[in-house]
Amino acid sequence: MSELLTILDYQFFRHALAAALLTSVLAAMVGTYIVSRKIVFIGGGITHASFGGIGLAYYMGLNPIMGAAVFGIMTALGIEWISGKGNIREDSAIAILWSLGMALGIIFVFMTPGYAPNLMSFLFGSILSVGKTDLYTLAGFSLLTLFIFTVFFRPILYTAFDPEFAKIKGIPVGTYRYMMSVIMALAIVLSIRTVGIILVLSIFTIPQITAMLFTRNFALIIPLAALWGITGSVAGLFAAYYLNIPSGASIIFFLTIQLMVVKLIVTLQRQVQRRSG
Amino acid sequence: MKKPLLILDNIRTGYNSDPVLRDVSLEVYPLDFIGVIGPNGGGKTTLIKAILGLLPLFSGHIHFPSGRPKTGYLPQASQIDRSFPITVKEVISSGLETSDKFLPFLSSAKKEKVRKMMDETGLGSLSSRPIGELSGGQLQKTFLCRALIDEPALLILDEPNTHVDKHFEQELHEWLKELNKNMTILLVSHDIGTISPMVKTIACVNRTLHYHPSNQLSEEVLKVYNCPVDLIAHGPVPHRVLKSHDHE
Repeated sequence: MSELLTILDYQFFRHALAAALLTSVLAAMVGTYIVSRKIVFIGGGITHASFGGIGLAYYMGLNPIMGAAVFGIMTALGIEWISGKGNIREDSAIAILWSLGMALGIIFVFMTPGYAPNLMSFLFGSILSVGKTDLYTLAGFSLLTLFIFTVFFRPILYTAFDPEFAKIKGIPVGTYRYMMSVIMALAIVLSIRTVGIILVLSIFTIPQITAMLFTRNFALIIPLAALWGITGSVAGLFAAYYLNIPSGASIIFFLTIQLMVVKLIVTLQRQVQRRSG
Repeated sequence: MKKPLLILDNIRTGYNSDPVLRDVSLEVYPLDFIGVIGPNGGGKTTLIKAILGLLPLFSGHIHFPSGRPKTGYLPQASQIDRSFPITVKEVISSGLETSDKFLPFLSSAKKEKVRKMMDETGLGSLSSRPIGELSGGQLQKTFLCRALIDEPALLILDEPNTHVDKHFEQELHEWLKELNKNMTILLVSHDIGTISPMVKTIACVNRTLHYHPSNQLSEEVLKVYNCPVDLIAHGPVPHRVLKSHDHE
């Protein structure tokens, strides 16, 4: 055990652990909203469209995460606007933005002179190279999101569940929906650092699905999803280090295994209960 | 003469730029109990969404002579996402007035109000149950409580009889009659047979609206007003119910 923990002497690993914890908590809140509203596909659209921003930022010599944030927010607001209009097929619009973002990213990266060494880290994540600034940004945004989810919990829940009724009750539904779109976009973009574009959606969904095996109460899903996110990602992180496999993929693998094991245990337990009851 | 609660003045409304309803005029008076009937796709739900302010008017006006009344609304069951992780208590609380929606916790007075309503309607033991685990009747009761918790002056119900058993239908019937002593009710249904004993008057909606100041509709009246034919072609049941029923 002590041998296992010697890795904690390294700063980069302590940073990675902190990033895994913070990402799990952030994704637990935002992911519960995404899974409850059944808008995982919108999350996918935001994630992939943000790659266009990464490419553009590279081309212009700017901070790639800033580029991703701008593209992510624009996509999220665009999708919310389209779904409010009701006369454009929302799923098709998402698919267009999804692939357009990826295409733009590839074009800009191709046009950038020289080799783009960090590009792979955006596709697959690079939790082991997370710096102090990244952590502060992630911590700051997680705290802000926690604050918003606490203070505005009821309107967020009501507008997600039944926007028409919320509107009749005088809640500014549009404002809340757009606010949540921006939070969704920023949470996704900041998590790209941890697990990468291709895998990011899973930390916004797998822990929530695991949590929902135990409760169907929105407020309880969030802490439970945070817990499952932390156990899965920390296990994945240690495995990545000791087995020398990519961290992002390892985290997703452990989150999924965890879901399957928990699901199996819960199912068996219910069967036993049914038989004895 | 009582002042109307709500006046629809020649409205034209629908989705996007496609008008579903045209030339609709109606005056609703306090303590009215109007059954809004008509075939599926005829515009019943469109009508109530326009009244609720959820749809834009292409032309015409909606007036509220004494100001917009507090309104309770029960949407169609199909509009509800039953897999959404929300509890009975939370659904009912969402119907409370909105002045303190920013606060994370409900005041104890409001909590008490919700608890009292759940106890009175037999939902008390289901308070923390997610809505996905409720029966059709329990679900409709939960949403009716949400509509009623803020003590509205106008209650709008869209097909409350969907997915419920006969027992609940009877309970609902009694409940609405009692509520009608204090509030105006608009009840939407595609089935005139089940609602005509409850309502006082009837509005037929099929692209346009015809108002009948009675809950007794004869075949002749329907024909004169050019009401949807499939309404009177339902079979013998509606007529038996209509003609045998004595309304005060």
